[in-house]
Amino acid sequence: MSKHAITLKVNGESYDIVVASNKTLLNVLREQLDMPETKYGCGTGECGACSVLVEDNTAINACLTLAATMDGREITTAAGLQVNGELHPVQQAFIDHHAVQCGFCTPGMIVKGVSLLEKNPDPSEEEIREGLEGSICRCTGYVKIVEAIDAAGKEMAKAAG
Amino acid sequence: MPPAKRWLRQLGEDTSMSEFKTIGKNEERVDIRAKVLGSAVYAADLKMPGMLHGKIVRCYEYAHARVLSLDLSAAAAAPGVVKVLGPADVTKKAFNKSVIDLMASETSAQMLGDIEEQHIFTEHVKFYGDGIAGIIAKTEEQAEHAASLVVVEYEELPVYLTPEESGAPDAVQFTPEKPGNKAFELPDGMFPGGVLGWGDVDDAFEEADIVFEDTFYTPKQKQCQMEPNSYVALYDDEGRLNCWMSSQMPKLVHEKLARLFEMPMSMVKVTQTVVGGGFGARLGMVLEPEICAMALAVPGRPVKIQEPREEDWLTSPSRHPSRYWMKLGFKKDGTPVACDAKSVNFKGGYYLDGSALASTTGFWLQGMYRFDNLRYKGESYFTNQPVCGAFRGYGNPQTNFVLEQMIERGCVELGIDPMEWRKKWHKQVGDMSWLNATPYTSCALDECLERGAEVIGWEEKRKKYDNQTGTKRRGIGVAVGNHTSGAFPMILEQTTCTVRLNEDASATILIACSDIGQGSHTTLRQIAAETLGLPLQDVRLDTGDSDADGFDIGAHASRTLYVGGTAVMKACQDARGQLFARAAKILEADSDELDIEDKQIFVKGSPERSVSAAKICRDGIYNFMNMATGELEGEPGQIQAYISYKPDNNSPPFFSTFVEVEVDTETGEVEVLELVSSHDIGRAIHPAICEGQMEGGAQQGLGMVLTEETYFDEKGFATNNSFTDYKMLGASDMPKMTSILVENPDPYGPYGAKSVGEAGLVTPVGATANAIYQATGIQFTQGPITPEKILHAIKEKGVSYV
Repeated sequence: MSKHAITLKVNGESYDIVVASNKTLLNVLREQLDMPETKYGCGTGECGACSVLVEDNTAINACLTLAATMDGREITTAAGLQVNGELHPVQQAFIDHHAVQCGFCTPGMIVKGVSLLEKNPDPSEEEIREGLEGSICRCTGYVKIVEAIDAAGKEMAKAAG
Repeated sequence: MPPAKRWLRQLGEDTSMSEFKTIGKNEERVDIRAKVLGSAVYAADLKMPGMLHGKIVRCYEYAHARVLSLDLSAAAAAPGVVKVLGPADVTKKAFNKSVIDLMASETSAQMLGDIEEQHIFTEHVKFYGDGIAGIIAKTEEQAEHAASLVVVEYEELPVYLTPEESGAPDAVQFTPEKPGNKAFELPDGMFPGGVLGWGDVDDAFEEADIVFEDTFYTPKQKQCQMEPNSYVALYDDEGRLNCWMSSQMPKLVHEKLARLFEMPMSMVKVTQTVVGGGFGARLGMVLEPEICAMALAVPGRPVKIQEPREEDWLTSPSRHPSRYWMKLGFKKDGTPVACDAKSVNFKGGYYLDGSALASTTGFWLQGMYRFDNLRYKGESYFTNQPVCGAFRGYGNPQTNFVLEQMIERGCVELGIDPMEWRKKWHKQVGDMSWLNATPYTSCALDECLERGAEVIGWEEKRKKYDNQTGTKRRGIGVAVGNHTSGAFPMILEQTTCTVRLNEDASATILIACSDIGQGSHTTLRQIAAETLGLPLQDVRLDTGDSDADGFDIGAHASRTLYVGGTAVMKACQDARGQLFARAAKILEADSDELDIEDKQIFVKGSPERSVSAAKICRDGIYNFMNMATGELEGEPGQIQAYISYKPDNNSPPFFSTFVEVEVDTETGEVEVLELVSSHDIGRAIHPAICEGQMEGGAQQGLGMVLTEETYFDEKGFATNNSFTDYKMLGASDMPKMTSILVENPDPYGPYGAKSVGEAGLVTPVGATANAIYQATGIQFTQGPITPEKILHAIKEKGVSYV
């Protein structure tokens, strides 16, 4: 298996690593960089548990992305959304709206929520639901997740003035 | 009639609801901060020094075969391989991966016909993906590569995908203990005549004005908990077998592993990691035997297995598919004179909880309506499909799909409003519940129906949607159900709880109850804080550790809050009693004159007479002699309370769901427009957590009735065991939903609470089928009700497209 020397910037820190051609970004984050917050749920890009953000706040499936193609890219995981010990408004809204049960889809859902609010600061309920397609939750029926993202959007809009 | 409000009496005070400090409040979940940051540790996140990786070699060539020869030599020589294991290299002991057999007495289990016929690696492949060998290697990739080098010679056997095929006289036998491949039927010794029920059904049908029957099919739905199965095990230098896993029932798995490997339970330690969902898939063991067998083969080295999603699908049990026949008889006025039913379940390749599912499917039928006469038979047959076991509702959604559609048919034929019929004929307080064993102690189903009907606009829509034409046809349907709060009196119930007050009067609660995502660690903590009179943050639960925690069955039968919550409440009452007894001496008052607030114990009505709970607790531990008086300062001893609690009642919750749909007669698509569920919760300890159970249950119930089924080709190969090919409802597929909590405190539940865990899935099933019936005029007996089936039926029945 050929190997590639790459630089990944994850949650603001740079890592110079060597990755095999067949390693996914998910695998490298979890196994090589010891960042287990990004989850393996299906490996086929259907469940969104592995969602991470790239530079322009697009959420991508880390399980479908080969790590070697990510040289020089900036990645944010759910753990990296916290700034100086303060939770991201989407994370706080998930807490306030009880939008978490087993928690396994949660980091990916939050990443998806951040991405959709960054791209559409004032989404309708329908737009939130569409934005969550590709992310599966088997516990909540999505009700409280949609409420949390809606509330976080309003909170972020208020903070932005 | 039910007894007086026992939970109030036990608290020793007449506390009105508004006086609760934490009960009924939407407190922050104990686990939620770690979960939003992704720092909660699931089994897949575990890494240990020197950790090896295990891979189970599975048969993907046949769904039914005998292994004639197994050549592991090439695999053993592959790079990175530490050990290869065939059937001869692991214990030969037969076992049963379910834990339900442990929950019945030996005599009962014998009478039910429970068996142990599984082996760690099989020589008789019974389903696509059955495990035949194991590889342990330095990396996951090396283990996978080695697995591909295993050479197997098989004898192909005929594949049986239905009970008719496997039950045929000349069929290959799955196990000699179950002739005719009949895994189970209701035993005569326990259920005379092999039936459940009462009265004389045959005579009753003669007296009925209308009688009709039909045979339904309910699908092989998969739990699809978001976390695929993952395990770590280590046979350590002390000779202890350690297993980190996410079973819903860690304590029963603890005993099963000790039995299987013939070790004392003290030499087996199980640790439950954070559990990424269960819904029944992890009721017993999934790969705990395999991972422990691997660990035993490489002493001192931890071994990890991470199952790919497709494999998790095949190895953890699904819902049982069933053929479910039912015949009903009514008088013209709607009196339900007789119900006769039989469910035949597809068991999959192994027995597991074979005796339980076919029984409970009938229990739910018994528990719902006041039929004058009722008869139920239940059977299961082995099939060459991945195993079936527990799935949220445990036979109840199957019964709901069938019974609620049959009731609907009767109501339509008799011209009776289906909601009014249900209100009139559902069982009430004092009626015997499922298994005819205990009477219902509370029931607020009428209020559930009335409030739900109002929210969705039942009366108006029901009239409006009759006899529609056009390509988009709407319908509205209702279904009711009830479930259980724990397994009493059917099978074992027991929870132990230890409460320890620390030096500062904060409390540690040792309890093995599982939180598999439903939020029970939060609600149990609320019960503890309320009962002890402590602020929430001063109460901590210690769970998931088989060394520290006493016995608890685990998460099943919607039992954790009802049984575990009562255990916590009683242990905390004891601890509070001890604390107050010490305070009473200091304050020269009676214990029952005391109250506690902000960790300060005071005499009711004279708050100036007070003592700090922390001082009493600390003085008990740091207990010195007063040098001046020569007497001990305070009463010696750390305050600790313990209970091994066995309930003597069951308080089933009742519930209803209304569903509104729009069916497209050109495409067969069903759009669910609105869903309103109401739940007779008794008391909501944490309303948002209760709603969460109803909302999540609805996603699974709608899936079961509309989209979810595991399909097999003629060879018995699963064709959609992945998230790509198996359709679960996404955020934009879900309807507008309302969850209504009807609070009517039950005399037996802790603080009046009843269960909610499984219930949310059940009635969306029947209500959706009934809404489709109103929209199309067609009843669909074969689940799930897919667009293909709708189009086919529209064509077959000659319904106009426009």
